[in-house]
Amino acid sequence: MRRLLVGYFGEERQVLAATRAVREAGLEVHDVYTPYAVHGMEEALGLRPTRLTWVCFGAGLFGLLFALFLQHYASAVSWPINVGGKPFHSLPAFIPVAFELTVLCAGLFTVAALFLRVRLFPTTGGTALPGVTDDRFALALIPEGPRFDEVEATSLLCRHGALETRLEEVAR
Amino acid sequence: MSLSVALSQTQRRYLWAAAGLGVLAFGGGLLSSPARAFTSLLVAAFLFTSLSLGALVFLALMYLSNAGWSAALKRVPEALSSYLPYGGLSLLLVLPGLGLLYHWLHPGEDALLQAKVPYLNLPFFVARMVGFLLVWIGFAWALRRQSRAQDADGSPTHTRRSVATSAAFLVVFAITFSLASVDWLMSLEPHWYSTIFGLYQIGGAMLGGVCAITVAAVLLRRAGHLPIGEAHLHDLGKLLFGFSTLWAYLWLSQYLLVWYANIPEETTHYLARTEGGWGFLFYLNVALGWAVPFTMLLPRPAKRSETNLLWACGFLLAGRWLDIYLMAGPAAAPEHLGIGLLELGVTAGLAAVFVLVVARALGSAPMVPKGDPYLVESLHHH
Repeated sequence: MRRLLVGYFGEERQVLAATRAVREAGLEVHDVYTPYAVHGMEEALGLRPTRLTWVCFGAGLFGLLFALFLQHYASAVSWPINVGGKPFHSLPAFIPVAFELTVLCAGLFTVAALFLRVRLFPTTGGTALPGVTDDRFALALIPEGPRFDEVEATSLLCRHGALETRLEEVAR
Repeated sequence: MSLSVALSQTQRRYLWAAAGLGVLAFGGGLLSSPARAFTSLLVAAFLFTSLSLGALVFLALMYLSNAGWSAALKRVPEALSSYLPYGGLSLLLVLPGLGLLYHWLHPGEDALLQAKVPYLNLPFFVARMVGFLLVWIGFAWALRRQSRAQDADGSPTHTRRSVATSAAFLVVFAITFSLASVDWLMSLEPHWYSTIFGLYQIGGAMLGGVCAITVAAVLLRRAGHLPIGEAHLHDLGKLLFGFSTLWAYLWLSQYLLVWYANIPEETTHYLARTEGGWGFLFYLNVALGWAVPFTMLLPRPAKRSETNLLWACGFLLAGRWLDIYLMAGPAAAPEHLGIGLLELGVTAGLAAVFVLVVARALGSAPMVPKGDPYLVESLHHH
């Protein structure tokens, strides 16, 4: 279990401004929970560029090579069949399947990597903060660190329009 | 942000010099090898007309999808589309050489060509060409007129009218451009046919249109004329990436079916392009049109970099030229004689005219469409 100081906001621009302000004040943000993707939030949070793109690239490359190997093995090594007098290893015929498997692997592995990384799979289920899947924007602070002071942090959140602030216990 | 766009005196002088070089190259070509000269003219004329038309399709797609992000740069496709009358003239210049390029004009004893005479004959061909060009010019003019009228009164009615015009244009474009590409390029080999040819050309034209828009937008942004941010570049980069892949998909769709079926009447087209010294260019086309730009545009930061986008567009535009050259060249000459001063000169000449016309159109309208209801959304795009 982990304790977080959560400020609930009613508007997108307020939570954006509050996120920038608390980071300028030297406080550590755990995460921001919003009903939809908020433009500019990744800059406000100072997120590093995602490394998922490398998973996607690697998985796509794997899918491509796997598809080429599979078709080569099946049609030229394991059970060669003469199709219309074409060579057993006919690259043009392999391209559609190679394309499909590249896309399939890149897509599935990227989503799987994302779920693993954010620990979103069965048995990890917690409950969402109230309202963040509906009309609330929640900014969660880690109530620790040298610059943290609960009263100051709370007033900072309220100055940016927080409807309420609460200390929440969350899983992990 | 300066309001008017104009070429410097030096730039204008260089462009006129390039245009003059084009005329000289074409004139020299007429004397030495007229068929090759008209092939070069057809390739360049088709290329720049399709760039202009592709930009018009982009504009229509943005209207039809109620896109907000592109409002700030819509003067760019509008200016590109104003080249259409000049592109049309350059295509009409090919008409005197028709007999050298299209051998359906003299069918002789050839039963297949005789059967095609009701469609492929000189008067009907010219009528179709003029008709298609007039229709495209009309739609381009209508969209530009509404856009300029909106500058004055700011009424959203103009946007609604443009949406209706765009819807009609996209239907008309799909049909007319398919027929035009069949007429102007596919009928160079009147025995050969491909049912996906029109779609393949549409994919190419849209790719070329996005390329032209991207190059113009990046250059205008660098000069401080265009109020667009990295997010706009990112979107243009994504469209380049997508349309390049669409073009490659259609290229392969045509190739793969011919390769699979392996019927002599279809394979002649590809045999003519892989033998007689054409083979290298044939594979280079796929590299320039897809493989290189695809790899270059894969990472996210690459789509947001002005320099990288310009390089990618350079490869893609070279690929566009080669793609069209590979349709016209082997039909005229079975042995490849190399790309010489003639081909490059004529292309450079029409490129110079293209830039002059587009720059003048850019200068004749305010760069920011201040009456557009989507402008605020576009300026805040991220």
